[in-house]
Amino acid sequence: MTETPPTAEHHQPGRPNAAGFWAEAWARYQRMPLACAALVMVGLLAMVALLAPAIAGTKPVVCRYKGQIYFPCLAYYARSLEPVIFSKDKFRGEYPANLQAKDPESWAIWPLVFQDPYRAVRTNEWPGRPGNPTRDQGRPSRMNLMGTNQNGVDVFAKMVHGTLVALLVGFVSMGIAATIGITVGSLAGYFGGWVDVVVSRITEVVMCIPTLVLILALLAIVEKPTIWKMMAVLGLTGWPGISRLMRGEFLRLKSSEFVTAARAIGARPGRIILRHVLPNALAPVVVPITFGIAAAILTESGLSFLGFGQPPPSASWGSLLNDARSNLRMWWLVFFPGTAIFLTVLAFNLVGEGLQKATDPRLREAKK
Amino acid sequence: MIHHLTRRLALGLVTLLLISFLVYGLIRSIPGTPLTVAVAEADPSRRLNPADLDRMKAAYGLDKPWYQAYFVWLGNVVRGDLGRSISRKAPVTQLIGERIGPTLALSAGSMLLTWVLSIPLGLYSAARSGRPDERGVSLALYMLYSVPTFVAALALQVVFSVWAEGTAWELPLFGMTSGLPHATTAAWLLDVARHAILPLVCQTYVSLAWYTRFINTNLQEVLRQDFIRTARAKGAGPLRVLVHHAFRNTLIPLVTLLGLSLPALLGGSVIIEQIFTWPGMGRLFFESLRERDYPTIMGLTLLFSVLTLAGQLLADLLYAWVDPRVSME
Repeated sequence: MTETPPTAEHHQPGRPNAAGFWAEAWARYQRMPLACAALVMVGLLAMVALLAPAIAGTKPVVCRYKGQIYFPCLAYYARSLEPVIFSKDKFRGEYPANLQAKDPESWAIWPLVFQDPYRAVRTNEWPGRPGNPTRDQGRPSRMNLMGTNQNGVDVFAKMVHGTLVALLVGFVSMGIAATIGITVGSLAGYFGGWVDVVVSRITEVVMCIPTLVLILALLAIVEKPTIWKMMAVLGLTGWPGISRLMRGEFLRLKSSEFVTAARAIGARPGRIILRHVLPNALAPVVVPITFGIAAAILTESGLSFLGFGQPPPSASWGSLLNDARSNLRMWWLVFFPGTAIFLTVLAFNLVGEGLQKATDPRLREAKK
Repeated sequence: MIHHLTRRLALGLVTLLLISFLVYGLIRSIPGTPLTVAVAEADPSRRLNPADLDRMKAAYGLDKPWYQAYFVWLGNVVRGDLGRSISRKAPVTQLIGERIGPTLALSAGSMLLTWVLSIPLGLYSAARSGRPDERGVSLALYMLYSVPTFVAALALQVVFSVWAEGTAWELPLFGMTSGLPHATTAAWLLDVARHAILPLVCQTYVSLAWYTRFINTNLQEVLRQDFIRTARAKGAGPLRVLVHHAFRNTLIPLVTLLGLSLPALLGGSVIIEQIFTWPGMGRLFFESLRERDYPTIMGLTLLFSVLTLAGQLLADLLYAWVDPRVSME
């Protein structure tokens, strides 16, 4: 935010209002082809993540069974969404044969690729198709586009479902971190005094504790680390950087004229913080939040790689890399998840870089 | 100056106390103790009987609640005693002393490589700014920066240890030496160097990309200033302007970086040392966390925290020292 003095030009009557800060930033962002490509990539990843059960799975997307329409694929989002009737009729997760046998009238629309991210597909589970190869025999083939791991689980299915895990980890944990960081940082910056002393000390302590100790200790304390607990832990450890930046912005802005003016007309601190200062202080933290999403995805896959992630069966990209460690001959277990993590991190980094260029007031000055 | 320094040191001490207290509480609340974890992993049928367990707990001071045990630990630290490792039956200082050499070899080598390569690369990028070749180099470095270390490490292992097996390009998969007796010191050094290549590459490429970008951005900023135009106007050649006038002025932020990289120098990288089973500090840390070896975890945490805080202080001091416009007051 530049504090350019209002010139006569800005207030000419009859001239439409100048575009807002974010509209201007967006216009500048669109002029960067690489950043735009990265944004498209993020969009594609989000689509793959949301449509994962329709791309790869062993449960029908839609099926008609005993006169009713069901969506068994929803079970991939949450176990509880699997229609009860299928467990009552003892399907045991095997739909193709059971649907035919128990209701010849039934029909189903299947996912694009009949493979499961959590288990190996057995012989003739899909009529006439061989089961997945196990051990180190699972090279990429027509049946298993990206090969299989030691247990015969299809890598492509894991990759597709892992996209949801990666993006969820990135967005949810950074959402938690951003909420804590922005709240804590703005309170410290606005009120100063002892609030600031306490907050700054806590920030410093969290920053100084080796991240791995903090994350591993918290993960061990919650026991059985599910993906949601992992997000909470990453969020609880990722806020200090944002809090620092926010504090700095608030310190800078709270002595500016518009805050004094707001105070003079009797606005309460809550209103000043939320309505006056926060919108002006948000731009610089958007960039570290974007980079933080990339970092969270990296950390989660790194932890899964080291064996500290969600216990198997898990669809995390990092767990595939962990499988690769015990058999390096299975290069496909390194290449596909490695490339996916790389491209995702790169996309978020490029978006962050683009945002930085688009919102940096110094660069805007240089253009004029 | 003295006043500022004492204030910083006092605040640092408070932070250290808080960190150690918190970490102590955290690691003591992780399920499992050093006595149960190690035995259970070795052989589930040979668990200690309760009476023995209690006796051993008392011997290691684990029978007290953690906040009491913390102050016992703190008292020992003040007297210069970091305690004895429970799972390794050796003093923590000795363990750290054994591991610091390998870590230093890796991190110092990586830092040297980074500086030697990134300064010319940064100068080159600034000199040819905006041209196609510079854009290519920058994009490549940027992509390199986004490659996770563990992915790069695994890929290198696949290429150089599995695919290149039996060729002249084959490199050892893990460890620091091949474990065979060496005839001469030179042969030993060669063996270590061969083992160090892959971890060194993994540890260097990210910082290389980052430093190059950092130098490039700073140079771009300096090159826009008036005294550069003056230098050009008086007829200084492009190389002289770049190195003599511009680069010297970017040394200030670089020097601060030097201070901030202090913890990385001795802390080692957990992931790289773990993948390549390099017997350094990061691996010791990881193993002691798994073994719930409280004294070692605490000793290492203390060391890392001191280094982080000292690095920040060093960065500030260096900053004030190289830039006369900055005052410590």
